[in-house]
Amino acid sequence: MSVVECRFDASGYSIDAIQRAAYKFCDRFALEVTGDGQVFLCRLDFRSDVTDRSSIARSFKTEVLDQVLRERIRAETEGVRNVILAVAFSNAHLEPQ
Amino acid sequence: MPIRYQPADVDQTHAGWELLPIRFHRFDLSRVLLTNMVGEHLFVTGEDFDALMSGALPSDPQVRRDLAGKHLIRATGEDVPVELLAMKTRTRYRRLAEFTALHIFVATLRCEHTCQYCQVSRQSSANDRYDMSAETARRALEATFQSPSRAVKIEIQGGEPLLNFDLVRDIITEAQVMNVHHQKQLSFVIASNLALLDDTVLDFAAEHDVCFSTSLDGPADLHNTNRPRPGRDSWQRAIAGIGQVRDRLGPDRVSALMTTTAASLTRVRDIIDCYVEHDLRAIFLRPLSPYGFAARRARPTDDVAHWLAFYQEGLDYILELNAHGIPMVEHFAAIVLKKMLTNDDPGYVDLTSPAGIGIGALVYNYDGYVYASDEGRMLAEMGDTTFRLGNLHANTYTELMTSNALLEPLEMSFTHSAPMCSDCAFEPYCGADPVFHHATAGDFLARKPESAFCNRNMGIFELLLDRYHSDPQARQVFQRWANR
Repeated sequence: MSVVECRFDASGYSIDAIQRAAYKFCDRFALEVTGDGQVFLCRLDFRSDVTDRSSIARSFKTEVLDQVLRERIRAETEGVRNVILAVAFSNAHLEPQ
Repeated sequence: MPIRYQPADVDQTHAGWELLPIRFHRFDLSRVLLTNMVGEHLFVTGEDFDALMSGALPSDPQVRRDLAGKHLIRATGEDVPVELLAMKTRTRYRRLAEFTALHIFVATLRCEHTCQYCQVSRQSSANDRYDMSAETARRALEATFQSPSRAVKIEIQGGEPLLNFDLVRDIITEAQVMNVHHQKQLSFVIASNLALLDDTVLDFAAEHDVCFSTSLDGPADLHNTNRPRPGRDSWQRAIAGIGQVRDRLGPDRVSALMTTTAASLTRVRDIIDCYVEHDLRAIFLRPLSPYGFAARRARPTDDVAHWLAFYQEGLDYILELNAHGIPMVEHFAAIVLKKMLTNDDPGYVDLTSPAGIGIGALVYNYDGYVYASDEGRMLAEMGDTTFRLGNLHANTYTELMTSNALLEPLEMSFTHSAPMCSDCAFEPYCGADPVFHHATAGDFLARKPESAFCNRNMGIFELLLDRYHSDPQARQVFQRWANR
């Protein structure tokens, strides 16, 4: 069986987080995602030479969680990151608040 | 005009503090590595990381101070970390405005060696149609002096450049004449196997302040197998040449570079011992070349694992030598450590983003074609002209530097927008290598999990961080290397 399925609740996980996580495993499986608005169904289609599939599927689920955290960090720090880059590459300084 | 910063909405942040832009990497079962925008790093426990991600500060006040000190968090609305991160970011990218520092002249493709790993220099040493002409060299010098960089290094290589020494002499003397007007910090290197070194060459080098870079693959048997020449005496001639340059020009006027082959992988201690024995106190444990027959292997990770084992054994041996009072530097580690432990970026071509092609180095081939890197030139000799920017006899400097052959790979490989790289905690230490990825995967970016470049660099970054934090002696050595 080269395909392993797993599900993610759409209220807690974004398709972006799932896709980013799957990219990290693209040397071991290809991902197909379908969603009904409530659940994302992921089909992990493994390369034929990959043997430890259930362990990799578990790592994938953990990675999806990490990608959710990265998504949160990006959203939370986007404003300050843009300001840092703007100050870095211009002659401007921060205006005291 | 001042920039007004509005902190994120209160419901997205935490009472009294907020996250700065960070990336994380689960280092092992107990530690999470955090890095900020400029690569300053901190290890935290899994518990502390979980607390941070759920909106609470770690309970240990020292950890809180470390998080703030490394610009991973700040007091809400505090400006100083923003200003400091901006300044450090500007410092890291300062080299970009001053491209291109290294200009490589291929004086000839002729060579009297027939090295197994060389794709470009197998032309008969009697065939001068592979020599650069004086007119091509003059145009290359004109391009060189149009680079904005204040420091310009002219490296003359081949083939074996000493087979066309008259041109080498002309390039260097003409560059010095032109520099009276341009006033650059000009330096010269001849990359030579030193087999043909004689007093004429040494006299000229002494008079014009020329350095030498040579190849030394390790002990005689390994070197001579890798680098056949008539008489099978390449190693003996290289060692003799190193001695001659030192005696005549001074001990720091010659450096050696090794090429790693499959035969090297079990011999790292022998290779390092050879360098120590001949008083060469720096070595660059280079990866296996992806160019040539090995370019498109289906599973490059197997090669990476073997090479990483070679590198780790070599690095640990070098640390052991340092612990015994024998100062020895591993160049690649020193480059990475400078990026890890200081705000400086040494501008090493393979570890910058935007990539170092064109920006870090330009290659003027014997026939007038200009390439974005030496590896790009090697690909062209193998029939792939993707990184050919144009020709000195047909294109202006502006046309070369704004050619699609340069701009497209630069843009497409930029790590801040590359999948996986943009989220990677090691991104500040790493770089884009569009030539490598084009050669091995067929596109400038490649899928990183399948990339030997990515897997190899991740392995090195983890190794260096592990040694830095687990071995106090290694930490001291690494700090010295980073601040060289």
